[in-house]
Amino acid sequence: MHASSVLQAHSRLDQPIVHLTIVVTAIMFAILVLVFFLVVYASLRYRRRPGMAEPYQNFGNKKLEITWTVLPFLLLVSIFVLTVITMGDSDPPPTTANGADPSPDLVIIGHQFWWEVRYPKAGFTTANEIHLPAGQRLLTRLEAADVIHDFWVPELGRKMDMIPGTPNELWLLADHPGTFLGTCAEFCGNEHAWMRIRVISQTPQDFADWEQQQAQSPSLPNNPAAERGEQLFRSMSCANCHTIRGVSSADVGPDLTHLASRETLAAGRLENNPVNLEAWLHDPNNFKPQSYMPNANLKPDDLSAMVAYLETLR
Amino acid sequence: MSEVPVALPVLRKLERFEKEAGMLSWLASVDHKQIGILYLITALIFFIAGGVEALLMRTQLMFPENRFLLPDAYNQIFTMHGTTMIFLVVVPGLLGLMVYLVPLMIGARDMAFPRLNALAYWLYVIGGCLLYFSFFAHDAPAAGWFAYTPLSEKPYSNLQGMDYWALSLLVIGVGTVATGLNVIATVATMRVKGMSLRHLPLFTWMSLINSFLIVAAMPALNAALVMLLIDRQLHGNFFKPAAGGTPIYWQHVFWNFGHPEVYIMVLPAFGIISEVIPVFSRKVIYGYAVVAGSTVAIALLSFGVWAHHMFAVGMGHFLDMIFAASSMLIAVPTGIKIFNWIATMWGGAIRFTTSMWFAVAFLIMFTIGGLSGVMFAVVPIDWQLTDTYFVVAHMHYVLFGGTAFAVFAGIYYWFPKFTGRMLSETLGKWHFWLTFIGLNLTFMVQHNLGILGMPRRVFTYPNIHSWNVLNFISTMGAYVLGISVIVFLWNVIRSRRHGALAGPDPWDAWTLEWATSSPPPVHNFNYVPPVRSARPLWDLKHPENPDWQRGRRTPHHAR
Amino acid sequence: MPAEFIHHKNRVLILAFIFSESIFFAFLITAFVLYHGRSPNGPNAHNTLDPLKTGMYSIILWASSLTMWLSEKSMMNFRMDRCKRWLEATMILGGIFLIGQGFEYHGMFAKGISIGTDLFATTFFSTTGFHGLHVFIGLIVLLIMRGLTSAGFGQEEYQREGFIAASYYWHFVDAIWVAVFFILYVWGTR
Repeated sequence: MHASSVLQAHSRLDQPIVHLTIVVTAIMFAILVLVFFLVVYASLRYRRRPGMAEPYQNFGNKKLEITWTVLPFLLLVSIFVLTVITMGDSDPPPTTANGADPSPDLVIIGHQFWWEVRYPKAGFTTANEIHLPAGQRLLTRLEAADVIHDFWVPELGRKMDMIPGTPNELWLLADHPGTFLGTCAEFCGNEHAWMRIRVISQTPQDFADWEQQQAQSPSLPNNPAAERGEQLFRSMSCANCHTIRGVSSADVGPDLTHLASRETLAAGRLENNPVNLEAWLHDPNNFKPQSYMPNANLKPDDLSAMVAYLETLR
Repeated sequence: MSEVPVALPVLRKLERFEKEAGMLSWLASVDHKQIGILYLITALIFFIAGGVEALLMRTQLMFPENRFLLPDAYNQIFTMHGTTMIFLVVVPGLLGLMVYLVPLMIGARDMAFPRLNALAYWLYVIGGCLLYFSFFAHDAPAAGWFAYTPLSEKPYSNLQGMDYWALSLLVIGVGTVATGLNVIATVATMRVKGMSLRHLPLFTWMSLINSFLIVAAMPALNAALVMLLIDRQLHGNFFKPAAGGTPIYWQHVFWNFGHPEVYIMVLPAFGIISEVIPVFSRKVIYGYAVVAGSTVAIALLSFGVWAHHMFAVGMGHFLDMIFAASSMLIAVPTGIKIFNWIATMWGGAIRFTTSMWFAVAFLIMFTIGGLSGVMFAVVPIDWQLTDTYFVVAHMHYVLFGGTAFAVFAGIYYWFPKFTGRMLSETLGKWHFWLTFIGLNLTFMVQHNLGILGMPRRVFTYPNIHSWNVLNFISTMGAYVLGISVIVFLWNVIRSRRHGALAGPDPWDAWTLEWATSSPPPVHNFNYVPPVRSARPLWDLKHPENPDWQRGRRTPHHAR
Repeated sequence: MPAEFIHHKNRVLILAFIFSESIFFAFLITAFVLYHGRSPNGPNAHNTLDPLKTGMYSIILWASSLTMWLSEKSMMNFRMDRCKRWLEATMILGGIFLIGQGFEYHGMFAKGISIGTDLFATTFFSTTGFHGLHVFIGLIVLLIMRGLTSAGFGQEEYQREGFIAASYYWHFVDAIWVAVFFILYVWGTR
C-alpha cells in the first residue's frame, strides 16, 4: 500500500492547498533557519571567556523592537491573504453556478466503523468504496449516524467532519482515473484506525457502467452452496444488520448487495478475496477487534456456503 | 530595608515543628515552599505514569498491525497519557514553581492564603488519584483528552470512565483556580516596598498573567464538564442531536478552555526562560517591558482563537477566516519574545550550565513548535493536516521541547535554592543530550508521518513502508526519552545527598530569592534588600552601575 | 491574631473568584440562548415559566442585597447589633428565594418535567440549579458570618475585610440572577 501524501494533488481542488503548503512551509523553514543561526552564532560568539568583566547591560532598543514586530506582522498579513484566496479556490461553495442550492450527488454517512455511501440521483446505496467520474465534481453531503467522524482523502483535498445532526457539504473531484486512499480523521472509537476510505475515480463511461451495475438487484444464487449461503444469511442474525437488496433491509452494518465487486473488506481492513472473506467471517474480531460485528461461530460447511453466496454478489 | 514583622515565638514554633515533625510536617504544611516541592514531586510521579503510557503507545506503534495492545486498551492509554500530562504534570508542575518562587521573588513571607494553597495541592492529589482509580474500575476514560461528544456520551462511552474523567478534572480544577486566585492576591497585595509592577521579576509577571488566564479559562472547562455529566447521568440533552442539541457546542465550550490552557502551560515557561537566559548570559533581559507587555497581549488574544481547533467542523469560511486572522495575530507577541531572548544573549558572556543548555535548546525547539502552529492557522493547511501526526508533532515540540525544556532549565537553576545543593552538571549534560536527541528522534519524523497521511489516535496502521520506518524511528526516540528521565531522576536523588553545597546565590543572580539562604528559612527572609529596579541584587552588587540609574547621566545622589 | 495583616487580599481574591464564576454561568446561559426555541413541542420557557411569580421572588432576592449592604455598613460603623439584624434579614430573604425556587421546581416535577425532558428543561434546570446552589452556599457563608459576629467578630480590620469579601459574594449571586432572570424568564418567555 502506498502512503497518501498531503503534498500530492490529484484534484484541481487540492492543487491550491499543495501550493500554499509548500510556500508557507518554505517561509516557516526560512524563519527557523534564521532563528537557528542566530542562536548558534550567539552561543558560540558570546561564550564567556576567563577574566571577562560583566558585559554591557543593554536594556533594549525601541526601534529594533518595532521592526521585529512589524515585519512578522506584515509577513502574516500576506500569508493571510494567500490563505483566504486558497480557501475559496479549494473549497467552493456548495451551490451551482447561479447560486442555487443543488441536491447532493453523493451522500456519505459515517458509522462506527464503516462508510454508508449513497448515490441519490442514481438511486442506490453501497458501502465503503466510493466511485467518482474523473474530471467531474460531485456535490457530496457528509453525515454521521452515531459519533463524529471525518472524511479525508489527502490527495483529493480538504478533510471535513461528519457530525450527527449537522450535515456538511463539499465538492469531491478527482482529475483523472485512479485509486485514492484516505481515512477517517476524527477519533470515533475502538476501530477508528481501520475506518479507511477508498475512492476509485473512473472514466465517465466506466463510471456509468459501474453505477448501472450497482443499481441492479442481485440475481438469485445459481449453485447449491450459494443457495444455502443465502438461506443462512436470512435465518441467522446477518440479515438484522446488513442490507442485501431483495433479501434484507438494515443499516447497522454495511450494505452487502455488491460486496464481491469491491476491492477491500471491512472498510479497507483486508483485500477482498475468498480466502480473506472466509477468514473474516470465521473471526471478525481477529482483524477488527472490538468493532460491532459479532462472531457468528459458523461451522466450516456453513462458512463455505456463506462465502460462496457472498461471492455471487458482484 | 524592609523588616519582616513576624512574631518571634510563632517563628520559633514553626521552625521546630518543621524540623521535628519530619514527614508529618510535609503533610500538614501550609508553607508555600513545602507545598511547591510537593507539587513538583507529585508532578514528577505523574510524569512517570504519563511517560509509561507513552512508551506503551509507542511500543504498540513500533510495527504495523501490531498486537501488543488491543484497541480499547490503547484508547484508554492515549486518553490517560494526554489527560495526565496536561492536568497532572505540566500545570501542577508549573503551579509548584509559581507558589514556591512568587512569594520569594516579591519579598513576601508566604502566599496571601497559605491554607488555600495547601487545599489546592491536596485537591490535585485527590483528583489525580480519582482519575487513576478508573484503571482499577476496569474502565479508564477512552475518548481522548478533549472528549468530543457524542463519543464521550452514553451509549458510546457506556461505562464509568468518562465520569471518572469529568469528576477528577472538576476536583483538580477547583485546586487550580484556587491557586490562580491565590497568586493574584499575593502579587496584588504582598509585594515588598519598592517592588512596583515595573520591577517584578519576569517569572512573577508571567505567573500573574497566567493566573488571570487560569481563573478565566477553567470555568469554561467546568461548564463543559458539568454539562457532560448532566447528559451522562441525568439524561440531559446538551450535546444530543436527537433532542435538538449539538455536539459542536461541546467543542466551542471546551476549546474556550482548551486554547487558553495551552498558554497556561507555556507562560510560566516563558517566565523561566526570562530568568535563566539573562543570568547565564550575564546581561539584563532585553526589552523587559516588551516581554511583559507582549504576554499581556497573548493572554487577551488567547480568548479569541479557540475555533482554530475546529476548522474541519464546517463552520463556514467567514468564521474560519476570523479565527485564522486572530490565530496568526497571536503568533506575533509570541514570536518576538524569541528575538528578545536571543538579543539578551547577544553581546553577553554566556555560561553553558545544564540550565542554560535547556534554555537555549528551548529557543529552537519552541520555534519549531510555534512555526508548525502558525501553519495550522493557515486554514487550508489545517484542512489537510489537522487530526494527523503533524499536530502530534506540533504539540509535543511546544509542550516538551518548549515547556518541559523550560521546566528542566528551571529545575537545574532553582534546585540549589530548594535544597541547598547543586545538581550534578555531568549527569545534567547526559540528561540534556539524551532528552534533546530523544525528543527530536521521536517527534521530528511525526511531521513527515502527518504529511504522509497518518491520522492521529490510531492504535495501529496498515503496512505502508514509509510509515513503518518512521514509526519505528519514533519509537526508538521514545525509548531514548525514557532513559533520559531515568538519568534525571538519578541526578535528583543523588544530588539531594551528595550534591555540592550551594550557598544562597550559586549563580550570581539578581532577583530576591537569591538574597536568602538555600533553602530559605520558614519565614523566607531575615532581611529584604532595598528594591529600586527589577534586579535588586544587581543593584546591590553593582553600586556603580545600578539598573535604576539607567538613562541618567549623573548619579542620583550627586547633586 | 496575625502578626501582620495584608490589606485587601480578601477583596482581591473574592473579586477574581467572582470574575471566574461569572464566566461559568455565562456558558450555561449561552446554552440556554443557543438552544432557545428548539423545544417547540414539549415544555418550553413560554409554556412553563411564570415570570411574574418568579419576578416577585427575584425582587426578594435583590432586596437581600440591600440588607446585605446595610449589614456591612453597620459593621463598618461598629454597630454590631444592627449588623447582626440586617444579616439575619439577608438570610431570611435569601431563604425565601430558595423556597420559591423549590416551589417552582416542584410544580415542574409534578408535571413530569425534569432535567432530561427536553433541551429547555436541561438548560433551565442546569442554569437555575447552579445559581440556587450558589445561593445556598452563600446562605451557609452568611450563617457562619452570623455565628462569628456572636463571638465578638468584627472589631479587627482583618475580620471586617473577611466580612466584606462575603458580602461581595452575596452581591455577585444576586447579580447573576439579574442575568438569569432577564434572559430565561423575560427574554425566554416572550
